Amino acid sequence: MTSASTGAAPPSWRARFASGAAVRLESLIVLAVLCIVMAMLSNAFLSVSNILNILLSTSVFGTLAIGMTFVISSAGIDLSVGSILALSGVVGAILTSNLELPWWIGVLGCLATGSLTGALNGFLVTKAAIPPFIVTLGMLGIARGFALVLSNGISIYGLPPEIVWLGQGRPFGVPTPVIVLLLAALVAHVLLAHTRFGVYAQVIGDNEGAARAMGVGVERMKVLIYTLSGLLSGLAGLLFAARVNSGEPTAGLSYELTAITATILGGTNLFGGRGSVLGTLIGALIMGVLQNGLNLMAVRPFYQQIAIGAVLILAVWLDRINSKEGWRR
Amino acid sequence: MFKRSTLAASIAALALGLATSAAFAADKPVYGVLMKTLSNPFWGAMEKGVDEGGKSAGVEIFLDAVESDQSAEPQLNACNTMLQKKTAAMITAAINSTILLPCLKQANEMKIPVVDLDNNLDPAITKKAGVDIAFHIGSDNEAAGAKGADYLVSVLGKDAKGPVLVIEGLSGNITGEKRAHGFAEELKKQAPGLSIVASLPGDWDSLKAANITNDTLQRTPDLVAIFCANDDMALGSVEAARAAGKDKLIVIGVDGNSNAVKSIKAGRLNASVAQLPYLVGEQAVENVKKLLAGDKVQETINVPTLVLTKEVIEANKDPMLQYVK
Repeated sequence: MTSASTGAAPPSWRARFASGAAVRLESLIVLAVLCIVMAMLSNAFLSVSNILNILLSTSVFGTLAIGMTFVISSAGIDLSVGSILALSGVVGAILTSNLELPWWIGVLGCLATGSLTGALNGFLVTKAAIPPFIVTLGMLGIARGFALVLSNGISIYGLPPEIVWLGQGRPFGVPTPVIVLLLAALVAHVLLAHTRFGVYAQVIGDNEGAARAMGVGVERMKVLIYTLSGLLSGLAGLLFAARVNSGEPTAGLSYELTAITATILGGTNLFGGRGSVLGTLIGALIMGVLQNGLNLMAVRPFYQQIAIGAVLILAVWLDRINSKEGWRR
Repeated sequence: MFKRSTLAASIAALALGLATSAAFAADKPVYGVLMKTLSNPFWGAMEKGVDEGGKSAGVEIFLDAVESDQSAEPQLNACNTMLQKKTAAMITAAINSTILLPCLKQANEMKIPVVDLDNNLDPAITKKAGVDIAFHIGSDNEAAGAKGADYLVSVLGKDAKGPVLVIEGLSGNITGEKRAHGFAEELKKQAPGLSIVASLPGDWDSLKAANITNDTLQRTPDLVAIFCANDDMALGSVEAARAAGKDKLIVIGVDGNSNAVKSIKAGRLNASVAQLPYLVGEQAVENVKKLLAGDKVQETINVPTLVLTKEVIEANKDPMLQYVK
């Protein structure tokens, strides 16, 4: 995509990574083909209500994937997003259902839980210099464990109507979680593609040494990136709890893998560097369309697993044979 | 480039074939059935029963399931997707009482009758949420637990003394709670000397149950019996017990699934309170047909249970055995 210059000054970092905001064509093609195939295989697929249904089912893990985009762009990984989702949902439910505090305290509680846990991840990655894989793998267990401890293992049912609206409302006929997802994606896209924060995140992922030499505060950036991922996990936890009107300690099991798959499907380089929020949205939609289409055809969930794995490999392979840059590292 | 045209051609051919077959199948009414997971043979037997019920009722069954007993949001998504198909009825085996409520409420609004398959929806919770359930069908889980206690006392005697372990189902799931509760109450009544030293959630998982069994045997090596709220857990538990050399330990499960039957025949598992999921599935479909035809159907339908032991299986006299699949 970005052509090598003919000896003039190399394109600025900003220009080089802003092109990552452009969507990877292969992902769009895969999504389009999938939609066409599903529409042909089931006449219930292409209705407005089903499309809204697909968007709704994508909203929770899509929010997680948006956060994951930042993390993976910076050459990190966050395996704890599913557990943070559960912990945030449980905390929000305890605040509003058990302690009967107002709904906005529940919302703040979810977001704060997510952000604090994410910040803890960032702190351990930078100060203790433990690889992100290990830190977030440990946090996966710790956050999940806390969610189970705080809730005693059972779901906490009955949230305030304002929060339920967040998960089940349909302003102008569009499910609220979809609106939240799109708003979050918009903000995240601007953040990633058009602010210094986003550009630095990708620079760190592309070449951390060079970023440091440039004067980028790498440690501070990493803490902020993991906090952002935690914040979005908290938001996803809030949406999940609102959708099912309860804090579920078993929420989000394996959602981290789904978020990673959506991010990769969208074109973000797994080893860091270029990232794209729009691409991640498309990746999430690919998975949502697959699951919905296969559900409409009553395909056994086991086959759905196979299909999702196959589509991931296919999409990335398509990218490989088409791109000139190939894989680094 | 030739690959693209053959790909396009094959997709078109596939679509044409499926479209024509779909068009032919559209005439019979379609009942939607949403299960938890098909990995447990209990649900496999229920699926067979539902299919058989569909055949005799002349309806088509659209069956969907999710990955595991804990896939909460995926089950909600599958439920919403099933609504898109506008089936004549929704027969659901919910993972817990709260997860599907938004979808079931919508089903109410779309005038699609909702059936609670295998008593997974607590009527108190559904009433409070304003969700109307046409009927609950399943086995009386409290009675099933009580039958397990009854069997244990029949083997050990009313004056037996000793520690007993109870392994519950998924935390917060009403089926597991009722079975454990039914067992505990009946045991207290019939044999007060048998005391329950621990009641821990095994999450319907055989490995978890095996680990709980091992840990409990460490603390209480003189354990006399283990009651598990389902067969998967009982099978895990019995393997752990036999591996620890405890051959006299009585292990009782609930469900009567095909793996449990094999284990009982092989002399490993002692007994299982068979819940005849095949019969539950069949009767669910039959009763939906009655309901849609305008007949009155009981709000709670209890399908009988049967305690399976080696003797019962070998004698093969009980007519209910035909429903054990």
